[in-house]
Amino acid sequence: MSISKTKNLLGQLSQLERTVSEFSFEELNAAEAKELKSSFDIFRSSLERHIYTPKSDLIFSKKKEVCATENQEISEKQFITHVSHEIRTPLNSIIGYANLLKEEKLTRGQHKKVDAIQFASNTLLKLINEVLEYSKLSSGNNNFETVDFNLHSLLKDVMFLCETLILDRKIELLIDIDENVPKIIKGDPSKLSQILLNLLGNSVKFVHQGFIKLEVFTKEQVNNECLIEFSVADTGIGISKEKIKTIFKGYTQAEDDTSKKYGGTGLGLTITKEIIDKLNGEIEIDSTIDCGTTVMFRMPYAIGNATTAPRKSSKQNTKKKNSGLLAGTEILVFEDNIMNQHLIVEQLTKWGCEVHVDVDLDKGLYLLSSRKIDLILMDLKMPNQNGFEVSKAIRDHKNSKVNSVPIIAFSADFTEQDSKECQEIGINDFLLKPYTLDDLMSTIVKHKKLNSEHTDFASILQKPMIELKETTVVNLNNLLKDCFGEIDMLNELLKLFKLNAIEFIGNVKVHLKTENLKEIALSAHKLKAGFAMIKADGMRKLIVEIENSCKTNQPEKVKELYEIFLNDYPLLEENLNIELDKMNKK
Amino acid sequence: MGKNVLLADDDQLLASLLNFRLKKGGYTVHHSVNGKEVKEYLENTMPDIIVSDIMMPYFSGIELIDYVRNELKSNTPIIIISSAGNEQNVLTAFELGANDFITKPVSPTELLVRIAREIDK
Repeated sequence: MSISKTKNLLGQLSQLERTVSEFSFEELNAAEAKELKSSFDIFRSSLERHIYTPKSDLIFSKKKEVCATENQEISEKQFITHVSHEIRTPLNSIIGYANLLKEEKLTRGQHKKVDAIQFASNTLLKLINEVLEYSKLSSGNNNFETVDFNLHSLLKDVMFLCETLILDRKIELLIDIDENVPKIIKGDPSKLSQILLNLLGNSVKFVHQGFIKLEVFTKEQVNNECLIEFSVADTGIGISKEKIKTIFKGYTQAEDDTSKKYGGTGLGLTITKEIIDKLNGEIEIDSTIDCGTTVMFRMPYAIGNATTAPRKSSKQNTKKKNSGLLAGTEILVFEDNIMNQHLIVEQLTKWGCEVHVDVDLDKGLYLLSSRKIDLILMDLKMPNQNGFEVSKAIRDHKNSKVNSVPIIAFSADFTEQDSKECQEIGINDFLLKPYTLDDLMSTIVKHKKLNSEHTDFASILQKPMIELKETTVVNLNNLLKDCFGEIDMLNELLKLFKLNAIEFIGNVKVHLKTENLKEIALSAHKLKAGFAMIKADGMRKLIVEIENSCKTNQPEKVKELYEIFLNDYPLLEENLNIELDKMNKK
Repeated sequence: MGKNVLLADDDQLLASLLNFRLKKGGYTVHHSVNGKEVKEYLENTMPDIIVSDIMMPYFSGIELIDYVRNELKSNTPIIIISSAGNEQNVLTAFELGANDFITKPVSPTELLVRIAREIDK
């Protein structure tokens, strides 16, 4: 099974690759384009490594073929889970960068190509998710929830999602919920939505005109237990009697050319049936070719308790015009994948957030106590560090300013165990990668701390000497004048400037270890001229402060100031680049 | 032929800007980044003017003045660049025979005026 799936995956992949190579990156000349491309390369090589390396999970090597079928199945499943997880992360970058590209000023042709990249990568993502889901289900790894939930609002949500799928076609979407259907029931709401979306999604795919109807009623009710029947009826192309017999087996779409014409992985119904079976439900299909199909399933539920069912939070409108919602929000991101770092910084910055990216717990704690961080985004599965542990350290911190900042976790894979652990630690929410921009924004809006009673940086350092924002300001007008308006010279000088700054960062880091304050003072001294040139007066003051603190032998203060420099310098450089860009364009 | 300027400054950034401006001003510039290079250069060539930072590896601007005036016995004009706020440096530099003194941040335009003034004297 996994071999055919992998072939399918490779097919999708080369499709994606074709689209990407058709895309004219030179023409675009945007940093995102390059990132997109490299994301893709990483993605591809990671996939290839897993498929072709004999040392990997070995399912394609000869040795394994002689193994018992059972073992092979297990290793196949592990392999699939592993690969799916690993390629989701770079795929996340591809989708993310494609989203960003779309916000650039593109020609119509470019726009179309970005659309194609998005389409191909989303298809691939769906495929991977389905493969992952299937392998989880069939390996019994899937845990089900039992919680009270509002069935009516779940149905409403599902219908809303379907409406968005059929917006421009002549299909009516109907829903009929019988009065006898209880409002609150106990069970697994996410699995129910998944089943319904699968079935309704199928209908949307195969119906060209007519209607799709969802009917829900209570078939039986004894005391606190009820059996609810759902039926999805459509006027689609229908399925022949013979095909119905095999339809729940994996990878058997009704006609061989079905997948070519209608797309999809052919796993949807298999997954649906597996879920229903595991929840002690039953499913039936009735269909007539060219007339339509009705899928019915019955599920046992307990009547729920209204008081414990979570109230649905009102949906945030996250259209672009509302991006001002986040302006000025300070966010600390724990993420150690460089690509994802860039991506999230770029997006959050576009929304007007101030972003600090960190991988180091101590530095993060320092930032949390010295700045007024509104929110933390935490990658739970960083290669070198455990996001759970970092979160726990933050929650256990004795300073209430540090331990009360909301934490939103994100991960490409989120198990129930993870969810439990999140709750125990006190992580406020989570996002499953790849998340959409809307998800990201609404989650942040929901959790960001509105009341910022933090003390500011000045009081931490006792002696106020620098206005914070000031440290990122630059002005290149004078320097351009000094260059007689020669932009090439300006570019060259700024290149040197950046090198000096990087050298400074490195030097100080080295000398802080040995507390060689003399060397640090010298380094700081040398850097002053550069900041004077670009009229970065705030940053220059900070550098002078560093130099003076060295001379008065205050290593702790030097460290604190250096941290601020590390934080603010990237913002300054960004401002510098923006200014330079403007001048280059003139 | 433009007048020769020896520019001694280990700050690449400032030196690049000054170098650029001096060349635009019609000067021929030799740029050294440390005292050793300066010394080697001066052993063979005497420029029309020396512009030097005070803080330099191997050989400070102060030592440079001493070397030019007392060892090479040259009256070549010397302009010293230094950070603001160090009075002692200014005094020592003038005592040893520096012609002029300019404090950072350096305005290239101002420096050029001062150079021209020294050369034309």
